[in-house]
Amino acid sequence: MLVLASILLPIAGAALLSALPRDDRNVSRAIGTLVAAATFFMVLFAGNQEWSFRWLSRPFVAAFHFGATPVSFWLSLMLALCTVCAIAATKLPRTRGFTAHMLMLEGSMLGLFLTRDLLTFALFWDLMLIPVFFVLVGWSDRPATAWRYLIYNFSAGLLLLLATAAFGIIYGSTDVIGRSDVHLLGSWAPWIFAGFTVAFLVKTPVWPLHTWMPPTYADLPAPMVAVVGAVQSKAGLYGFIAIALAFMPDYLRQYSGLLIALGAISLVYGAAVALVQQDAKRIVAYSSLSHLGLILIAIAVGNTLALQGAMVYIVAHGLFSAALFMLVGYVEEREGTRSLVRLGGLGKTNPRLAGAFCIACLAALGLPGLAGFVGELIILIGVYQAGYVWPAIVTLVSIVLASAYFLRLYQGIMNGPEVEDLPVRHDLTWVEGLAVAPLLAGLVLVGVQPHAILTAFAGIVK
Amino acid sequence: MTPLPFTLADWSALEPIAVVGVTGLVVLVVDLLSRSHSQRYVSIGIGAIGGILAGVLAAHQFGHDHNAFFGGFMTGGFTSVFEEIVLLALIGSLILYGAIGPAERIAGTTSLMLWSTCGAMLMAGAANLMTIFLGLELLSLALYCLCGLVDRKTARESALKYLILSSTASGFMLYGMALLFGATGSVMLADFVSPALAGSALFWMGAGMFLIGLSFKLSLVPFHMWAPDVYEGAPLPVTAFMSVATKAATLAVFARFIYAALPSGVAEKLLLPIWIIAGISMIAGNAGMLAQRDLKRLLAYSGIAQVGYILTALAGGTPLGLRYAIFYLTAYTFMNLGAFAVAAALSDDGEQGSRLTNYEGLARRRPWLAAAMTFFLLALAGLPPTAGFLGKILILSSSVSAGYVWMAGLLIAGTAISLYAYAKVIFAMYGRGRHDARDAKPFVPLAWASVAICAVAVIALTFYPLTPSNILPLVK
Repeated sequence: MLVLASILLPIAGAALLSALPRDDRNVSRAIGTLVAAATFFMVLFAGNQEWSFRWLSRPFVAAFHFGATPVSFWLSLMLALCTVCAIAATKLPRTRGFTAHMLMLEGSMLGLFLTRDLLTFALFWDLMLIPVFFVLVGWSDRPATAWRYLIYNFSAGLLLLLATAAFGIIYGSTDVIGRSDVHLLGSWAPWIFAGFTVAFLVKTPVWPLHTWMPPTYADLPAPMVAVVGAVQSKAGLYGFIAIALAFMPDYLRQYSGLLIALGAISLVYGAAVALVQQDAKRIVAYSSLSHLGLILIAIAVGNTLALQGAMVYIVAHGLFSAALFMLVGYVEEREGTRSLVRLGGLGKTNPRLAGAFCIACLAALGLPGLAGFVGELIILIGVYQAGYVWPAIVTLVSIVLASAYFLRLYQGIMNGPEVEDLPVRHDLTWVEGLAVAPLLAGLVLVGVQPHAILTAFAGIVK
Repeated sequence: MTPLPFTLADWSALEPIAVVGVTGLVVLVVDLLSRSHSQRYVSIGIGAIGGILAGVLAAHQFGHDHNAFFGGFMTGGFTSVFEEIVLLALIGSLILYGAIGPAERIAGTTSLMLWSTCGAMLMAGAANLMTIFLGLELLSLALYCLCGLVDRKTARESALKYLILSSTASGFMLYGMALLFGATGSVMLADFVSPALAGSALFWMGAGMFLIGLSFKLSLVPFHMWAPDVYEGAPLPVTAFMSVATKAATLAVFARFIYAALPSGVAEKLLLPIWIIAGISMIAGNAGMLAQRDLKRLLAYSGIAQVGYILTALAGGTPLGLRYAIFYLTAYTFMNLGAFAVAAALSDDGEQGSRLTNYEGLARRRPWLAAAMTFFLLALAGLPPTAGFLGKILILSSSVSAGYVWMAGLLIAGTAISLYAYAKVIFAMYGRGRHDARDAKPFVPLAWASVAICAVAVIALTFYPLTPSNILPLVK
């Protein structure tokens, strides 16, 4: 019951917010933060409880079946944490509506991660697009971005739906996520695999299906992009792990070359673009593309070590990219720009902001002791151990590139001479500081004590 | 004079239809006798009560297969389900008419709508060619008048266009029926299954022309040209009624014909062109939506595509497919009526609610109406958590398991296109429009009530998939 409640609570919170008579920023933010925090603890304490309700019995069995698997537990926890932090720091106009959208997003994505049923997975897959679309429509100035986001992702969702229908017809049930005895074979299986794979690749995103991503991340307000960039991007990777790897491992192995190639291209391409971008938010966006390519390589390689590394890195990337997006958001809020050309020298007047930004950047570039390093290192060893030498080399080069563009990002904003015509604003407020603190603490915690996450894979890897 | 050879059971099979027909007369008589000012609600009220009563009677016939009038009219699960859908459309549109219709001629309009419903219900149960034609003409004749009942040039144009094109379709159908009769010597659908007919050229031609006639009525591409113009011109409640009732009745005839009246071996070849034009309709209908500036036209094109979806479910010829088609049709009824109800809540006699420019910035003026409209449009596009989503997955699974994967693929492609068109309306409502339309209309309780009922139904159908069992056999 608790697991169902953890999905319904944010949705109920969104409804409550919409019904508020007045748009008061503090009230909306307080309600949103409280609901999100309560959700976090519900996810934490729900553990591996399950709840099930039969939905369809014909043409195949489907159920509203919720319950965390070890992998989805960590993803849900990360999602809940990022949402609390992001809502707590919201300073947008029309806070009531925005917070309601944030909670809708959290509810639908929790449903996506916690469901044990493929059809429900497809349902939440489409559902989680809607709040993002509405925020792009209502809170950004470029309509084209909303279109592109919706059309790309909805088309992917339709492929997922078709593949799910075919899966259900062939296997007779879609209530399968988390089961280890399901293997899809037969003449249909490659097509089903292809449907799922393309949908996951669009969602992650991976080159060449990534073109919706940079404008979406650039135009979304900071609190939402912290959740979308950090967690929604994991939906595709989670799909690879929980569906493709679990039910169609043979096809994943067969096409691993292609996936590794796509991952490597994303890795290098993302890093190269991040090196020359001037827009801070886009640098973080392209760095995401690069890092997600790395995780895709790890999943495609598919040995225990690589997968364990992927899991840690999924959590690590979630934490540091959420922190980076939020911090860039703070900078933009203060200075009215996020262009590296205009910014500079903020570190002197904003030491707390600079400190937080520094930790997030260091975690992202893989400093030992922080979460990013653990993930990268284990993935590297795993990839090398599996005999993929070239991917390992490409990965290594990209990690070096990551240091370059993250240092460039940090220096461009915080170091250097103070820019004259920038408005001088106060440092991080307590609320803002508290909002990013849990993410940074998480980075340290995972960096020194990754064991709990490493064991998440025990059930899946055989 | 010899007594009629019909039994009491035969007559009682027609009870729901008779109730609706008589209610139409009652409405006229009451209108004649009363001079009260609340005439509008009296007529609508009587009509709605008649509709509900007929609904109860039709529900009682569910599961009682009876072949009335020597096979002229067949009661049973299938008939009851389609009768209920048509009655839903009737009640929904009557409520909308009560909300926004012009006060004069209200009794006549109500009666015509009731009689049109009679025709549609007759088609739902028709098991021989003559009953089919009778029902079709009753449905259409009343609709021609309904389209032209307001004093607008577009309405008159709409009525005339509908009359001419629909008559052409009827002509095709009648000619096809004549050929079928020539080939089989019978008007009973049950007699068409004889295997000897598979080689008869006359039968093929007859069945082909009959199906072309039906395609006209279903507004499948390339026989769809009338639909947007007629929908646009007709009064909004009439459009709402027409968009559901005509489709439901024609689909009933179509399903009965292809499930129960084709000799073995014929169906696959004969119906392939129908599936192809259904596939084209899914693409062209959705693409057609992109260019529209009027909600009624937009929903007309959407309807063209939605019929394509329903036919995709029927393509395999499986009983399960039929059940899913009925599920989707039910869902479509609510989604469509819901969208029209929102338009009605924004309209008065001039029907501003149908112009898309009127939706710009709606989210600020009327947030709940905008939310409801968004919900219905997303349902039509097939996004969760709506019955449209579940309907799509059921249709996809039935067509995949029947081997019509290409239709499933076209459905996917069409849906992707459609989202763009629906999202355009949503965007107009929520975007920061430059143009702020005039003040919101006063609160229209009837329209709001139907918006709420449709929304609840669309959500409820998602979680409790009502796909009626025991709808077979379709003929005896």
